[in-house]
Amino acid sequence: MFFKQIWRNAKRHRKDNGLFFGSLIIAIVAFYTLLSLKEQDVMRYLATVESVAVAKLFKLIPFVYIVSLFFVFFLVYFACRYQTDSRRKEFGMYLMLGMKYSRLFIMLFCETLLNSLISLLTGIPFALFLTEGISLTTAKLVGLGMIGHRISFSPEALLYTVCGFVLVQLLSVFIICMGLPRTEPALLMADDFAKESKGTFPENALFYFFAGAFFLLAAYATGMTLLRTFGFPAFLAVFVFGILGTFFLYKGLGHVIGIRIKRKSRRKAGLAVFTARQLQENVLCQHKALAVSSLLLLLSLACISFGIGTAAGSHETRTTDLSVKGTDAEIQSFLSDAEVSSMVEASYPVYLSYSHTSRDFEPVKNALAKLPQSDLRDNMMENITGAGEYVISESSYNNLLASLGKKPISLNPDQMALFSSEPVADFTNIMNAALEQDIRIEVNGSEYSLLPRLYEDTIVADRMISLYAALIVPDEVFEEIADSSEPFCYNIHLSKRMTEEKGLLLALSDMGEMLSARGLEYDSYLGGIGRNLFYTVASSYLTLYLGILFLLIANTVIGLKYLIWQRQNKHRYLTLIMLGADVKTLCLSTKSQIQTFFNLVLSIAVINGVFAILSMFGSFLRLPSGASFGLVALMAAAASLLFILTEFAYIHVVKRAACREIMELKLS
Amino acid sequence: MNQNRILQVDRLTKSYGKGAHQTEALQGISFDVLEGEFLGIMGASGSGKTTLLNCIATMIKPSSGKILLKDTDISSLKGSALADYRGRKIGYLFQEFELLDNMTAQENIALPLSLQGISLEQAKEDIWQIAERFDITDVLNKFPSQMSGGQKQRTAAARAFISNPGLILADEPTGALDSKNSKILMDMLTSMNEEEHKTIMMVTHDPNAASYCSRILFIQDGRLFHELRRNQREETAEAFYERIVTVIAQLGGGSANVL
Repeated sequence: MFFKQIWRNAKRHRKDNGLFFGSLIIAIVAFYTLLSLKEQDVMRYLATVESVAVAKLFKLIPFVYIVSLFFVFFLVYFACRYQTDSRRKEFGMYLMLGMKYSRLFIMLFCETLLNSLISLLTGIPFALFLTEGISLTTAKLVGLGMIGHRISFSPEALLYTVCGFVLVQLLSVFIICMGLPRTEPALLMADDFAKESKGTFPENALFYFFAGAFFLLAAYATGMTLLRTFGFPAFLAVFVFGILGTFFLYKGLGHVIGIRIKRKSRRKAGLAVFTARQLQENVLCQHKALAVSSLLLLLSLACISFGIGTAAGSHETRTTDLSVKGTDAEIQSFLSDAEVSSMVEASYPVYLSYSHTSRDFEPVKNALAKLPQSDLRDNMMENITGAGEYVISESSYNNLLASLGKKPISLNPDQMALFSSEPVADFTNIMNAALEQDIRIEVNGSEYSLLPRLYEDTIVADRMISLYAALIVPDEVFEEIADSSEPFCYNIHLSKRMTEEKGLLLALSDMGEMLSARGLEYDSYLGGIGRNLFYTVASSYLTLYLGILFLLIANTVIGLKYLIWQRQNKHRYLTLIMLGADVKTLCLSTKSQIQTFFNLVLSIAVINGVFAILSMFGSFLRLPSGASFGLVALMAAAASLLFILTEFAYIHVVKRAACREIMELKLS
Repeated sequence: MNQNRILQVDRLTKSYGKGAHQTEALQGISFDVLEGEFLGIMGASGSGKTTLLNCIATMIKPSSGKILLKDTDISSLKGSALADYRGRKIGYLFQEFELLDNMTAQENIALPLSLQGISLEQAKEDIWQIAERFDITDVLNKFPSQMSGGQKQRTAAARAFISNPGLILADEPTGALDSKNSKILMDMLTSMNEEEHKTIMMVTHDPNAASYCSRILFIQDGRLFHELRRNQREETAEAFYERIVTVIAQLGGGSANVL
């Protein structure tokens, strides 16, 4: 009988609280996805090339797990409170019928446990499908299709997901239940338990509103102008101003709504005044929850944008497949092997060397000085004077360009070209604008003009070798000014047939094995992008995960806060029905309240978010010059669409739940 | 006589439960309410008086019988016609005031008018007049939490009268008030009845409050048990009170009401 009742109650609550269960299932999916990261194809590959960094990431995951549990706790706590609040009468009745508190606790714990298990049983299969999908898609996107797919099921991730969720749920129920023995059964059985509205504002409400707006503007200004230059102190200022501003703004917002009611709503008929007063009271009572939700949404927007920015920033152009170190004889001997030669499309020596000769880059600095002022330009002007210590021979670079199918450079004896591997679009734009000014520099006592564009195709396979500004010089000049006349390395391009047949990774692995067998040192394209790929996957994965989690929690908190509050004040709707309001009008009023309630949170979050994203991309996050604007725009549009759809879905579900409660109201 | 009748209750029954567990709350009650009357309904706990009021207020549906307000059968009302009945045709005064605590007194009073499409701005004069009548002009901009119990109930009364309904239903309006505020409220209701010719139907336990009525119906076990009429010209409130107490004693003693 007891267990039958638990089963029935649990079923009823799942049905009544679809919003919460939906959110919980999505949170479970997100949890499992994060925890099973280790088993993803991309991570398995990265563990072989970047084992130390991957190990560091895996050490970070438990921390993210605990932080996530902390946030999920709020989601679960509010949902449990919503459920228990709606059942107070029932609890009071159980107690009056002689049920012990301990039995009531056991009943609630069992119900929670049962519902947790059902959410897990629903969420885990989804999570498994999703992780498989992500694993296959990511591997395909980054060209790792051939490493051999393995089912990404992780028993460890499953265990932590189950334990974490059950623990959080039971803890929430425990905290809520702690208050029950202190509540008289009569109070539990009372129909309405909302505190009487005071209808008054906090003292200095208007001051709070304007102070909030001022702090937010200060945060925007600091983020946009000082974050790039001052780093952490500026970040701290933005953080403090932003949080204070948001809390103060919401604290004073109730008063502003009150002023609006006096000015506008009084001229409107119907339930306009009631709707506005409800909203005002909601804001007055729940300004802290509104501020927290708005900040969570802002975090969500920032995380998702950062994730997209990092993922889009990982755009790679494959220049050469392998860069091999060795003497000319060793390389030639290797390449003459029949098996090797069938796999190689092209090979050439790369003449890249340090140069001790004198050089004067002042003209480049002067050209930069003529461009509009910006932090990056000033930074470039400082760094450029010491540049040019590395030189690349024209023929080496042309070999590279030819293998990429690009037009070769044609340098006159008195010409040079500027090369840079700085992967930032703004850097390229500024430098190109400077080079268009027909710059002449002095190297080793002779004057050379610089070609009017910057060259950026990476000269060797390893992306970690970066050159801020090197000179591409005619071969004769190279021989004259280079410290070393030996090739820096030999670039090898694998044959197309080979990479298409085996896949790039396997072809590179085979060639790598052959090189190692000969005792030759080499860097491969995959080894180089491995590091980039790792940082991309790790940061975008984590930030997108946190972004989605914050989005869910913020929406659930707003939705449940509204529904709890409406339930506590349902007597008002009954009075309105008695005064002649029909259910349709009441539903319209409640829908309008919900829409505005969400809008109040969303509008501040979106405005904050726009400035946060602009500050972020203006400071520590930059799109590389290779990144396609179209791709970034597409990803941003997809993320915005997802965000809007999520909000629509939540608002719709909350409206439906609120209207259902109104329609279920009985006059006596 | 027929043209003065505002409400006709005809063989009204209301039962709860089914089969052997069925309880008859009202067992075929019939009576009329005349225009300008101040009718009291009294009876022991469980006699069916609140059920009767709730049926008239359309808070519950009767099992059988008819309730006609100005010859309109209210059991046939649905949707906007039902809302119109609640908002315009009747005014309801609750025992616990039922003011919306997040709205000021004047916003509460204006609610029935707002629901009829009249804004607070347009209703300003009417609100002021009714507020003067109930002596609440000084609390018009206050929220219920800033008012006394008496002020709250007078605000609720002003809300019930604002849309000029044909019939005011009052459910134990003095139930949550002290004797001083009860007297003030009853004096004001009486003046609305006598000077403005408002028809009031009031359910009460309190013989004191009932002594302000012009006629009282006593109900026992869902049936009309007795009727008292006050001779307005000759009979003092004290004498009418004595007669009421006597009937209550005949009904089974005052203790029945207290249980």
